[in-house]
Amino acid sequence: MTQAAVLLQNLAAAGFVALGIAIAYRWYRERGRAQAMLALSLITLALVAALGRVGDPLHPSALLSAIEVVGFLLSGYFVLLFRNEFIPLGTFAFQAANLLLALSIVVGIIDVTVLARADPLINQVIGLVLIATWAIFTGEPIARFWLASRRLPAVQRARMRFLSFGFAVLIAILFVSVLGGSALQSPTAIVVVELLVLAVVPAIYVSFAPPPLLRRIWRMGEENELRAAIQDLLIFSPTRQVLAERATTWAVRLLGGNAGFITDPDGNVIAHSGIDPVGAAHLMTKQAADPTGARRRVVVVPLPMTDGQGSLAVVAGQFTPLFGSEEVSQLKAYASSVSAGLERARVTERMAAIESNKTQFLNLASHELRGPVTVIRGYVSMLEGGLLGHLNERGRKAAVVMSAKVSEMNDLIEEMIEAARLEDGGLTLRLVESDLRDAAREAAASVAPLLEPTHRLDLDLPDRKVRVNIDIDRTKTIIANLLSNAIKYSPAGGSITCHVRARAGIARVAVSDHGLGIAPEDMHTLFTRFGRVITPETEHLKGTGLGLFLGRQLARLQGGDITVISAPGKGSTFTLHLPSAVHSEAPADGTPAGAAKHIDGVGAEERSRTTLR
Amino acid sequence: MGSYTSPTLVALAPASMHWFPGQAAFVPAGSFEIAVLAGQRLSGSPPPAHVLMIEDDPAIAEMYRVQLEHDGYRVTIATTAEVGFATVAERAPDIVLLDLLLPDRSGFEVLESLNQRFPNHPPVVILSNYGEPSMIDRGRSLGAVEYLVKSRVTPADISGQIPTWIELGRRGGQGES
Repeated sequence: MTQAAVLLQNLAAAGFVALGIAIAYRWYRERGRAQAMLALSLITLALVAALGRVGDPLHPSALLSAIEVVGFLLSGYFVLLFRNEFIPLGTFAFQAANLLLALSIVVGIIDVTVLARADPLINQVIGLVLIATWAIFTGEPIARFWLASRRLPAVQRARMRFLSFGFAVLIAILFVSVLGGSALQSPTAIVVVELLVLAVVPAIYVSFAPPPLLRRIWRMGEENELRAAIQDLLIFSPTRQVLAERATTWAVRLLGGNAGFITDPDGNVIAHSGIDPVGAAHLMTKQAADPTGARRRVVVVPLPMTDGQGSLAVVAGQFTPLFGSEEVSQLKAYASSVSAGLERARVTERMAAIESNKTQFLNLASHELRGPVTVIRGYVSMLEGGLLGHLNERGRKAAVVMSAKVSEMNDLIEEMIEAARLEDGGLTLRLVESDLRDAAREAAASVAPLLEPTHRLDLDLPDRKVRVNIDIDRTKTIIANLLSNAIKYSPAGGSITCHVRARAGIARVAVSDHGLGIAPEDMHTLFTRFGRVITPETEHLKGTGLGLFLGRQLARLQGGDITVISAPGKGSTFTLHLPSAVHSEAPADGTPAGAAKHIDGVGAEERSRTTLR
Repeated sequence: MGSYTSPTLVALAPASMHWFPGQAAFVPAGSFEIAVLAGQRLSGSPPPAHVLMIEDDPAIAEMYRVQLEHDGYRVTIATTAEVGFATVAERAPDIVLLDLLLPDRSGFEVLESLNQRFPNHPPVVILSNYGEPSMIDRGRSLGAVEYLVKSRVTPADISGQIPTWIELGRRGGQGES
């Protein structure tokens, strides 16, 4: 047992020496003032442990003992200095600590030299005084670190707690071994104490330089939250600005820093948290001037952007242990997510700006066009009305054509304004319960002037009302647009049908033609804004390419849709679907012998017709 | 050309597509007859109605003047809000046709000032290139008896409606909010 006790005593001493060497090496790799203090404290402690195993324990050398006492007291003092790096001590407290250190060194040296052979009780009291001093130097900082660790991210919290725990155990062991005196001289007691001391070694080591595996374990609890935050960053952030701000907040949290900021490639601060832009810019210049000096306080990683390289920086906090390579690599990984997120937001914003410009242009152009159209339309109407003098036959015909063309132009302008309004979100529907047959009738009447003698327009309506909750004017426009397309894309003439039915809660207006039809590969552009199908047969036909886009959007706003079936060379059927009004009457479908209206290119008057295909 | 077989048909057919007819006033069919009647009535002994047009585009103003004078109205054109104000104060027109985009201030501001300074001002009809529902609502809430989008109506439509608007104004259809 005695041998085991000696072995353990040697092991513990060796453990502390190893700790001292490891920490000295870590410090050599990543130098920082605060870290230096902690390293000095642990190295002196290791020195004390090593010296304790040198020489004869029964006849200690006075010089060695004096060095031991001084080293021991200094190791505590360095912990206080370590704390001073984070939370500066007041002048008074600092002077008091210095005085206490000086006094206890003097007392300690006297104890091991002059009083070496004095009453063991005196030695014990002095020993207690020295340990109490050491406990003050280390106890106050570890209590503070423990309290401060509560607000820190997982890794920092764990590091702080291991440090506090390690020193707390050391304080406890020292008191117990001095107070216990001879009672603790038994080999068993020594084994227990030395085992505890050995346990402290790794605790203090991981607090100083935690291995990556341990960091990952500590961080696990935070990982999910971080993953969600990064996801938010990549997907949900509304603008680049907001995204950059969120990214900064998370970077600070991730590293447990005090503040953070993001700069663009020109060095402008685009987001900041816990620091004002001026301070951030100042730090950046300082960092650029002296990269190694500033590394202690600021960790900066590159943030690639399309227009160059920005930076993501986190500033160390009061309680934050200084940044090491682990933090830098963590922040680098995070920065790549931030870059991707910022890039996405930039593209989205750019697209939105383009869209908005397009809409604004559409809006402006169409309103500007209304002025000239007003004048032309006004004078043409006066020409037609004979107000501007008598026209001959050719003149009157010309006036009629001009009037029709000006109306067409007016319609195009109205289409453009409607499209702009739709995209601005400025469009409001006025839903009224109406009879869809009326809308179809009026739409058919409105396109009658476009019909040529070779065209035949059949209006096939059911006997009963087709009740729908619609914006009647807009629905009329949708149907008129489908009809005018059917006419336009049937250049060789032919029959065009407008078939209205309601079944199973859906009212439908189907407009069929036997015209050019649409190739399958052109279908996808049909309902897009300005999406016109241009083929040799259609390239001479005019249009804004807005009609179907507006039609579908307006139908959807009313809870419906427009669908299309088409075969090139055979014709197309466009169907407007609208939800029936709730208390719609029994569907009239299945009895196709309704009174169908027939309008042709010559007469435009309505005739009763009972035949249907 | 030949795309339209019957000139009369085209002339009689309503404008083929109204993307937005329900929001600007819909001009009733037969307004032309009213204009003729007004012209007849005005050609008699009572002095012709005086129309003040506040409009900065001379081409548009001139065009309306041709129609209105043909129909027997007396027309004054003001190209700025300031001149318009002075005319309302000094010459007491029977009706004001007001454009919204004016060089010195907006038509809405003109209407607001008119309401404040001349509580019994003549009826105001807004003629604009804008037909946004919000603008129409604002115009109406400021007491305009009518809000029309210029490109959707002909001068004859306007001329024909003037007696109705004057009548509306007389019955106190304006000035309410």
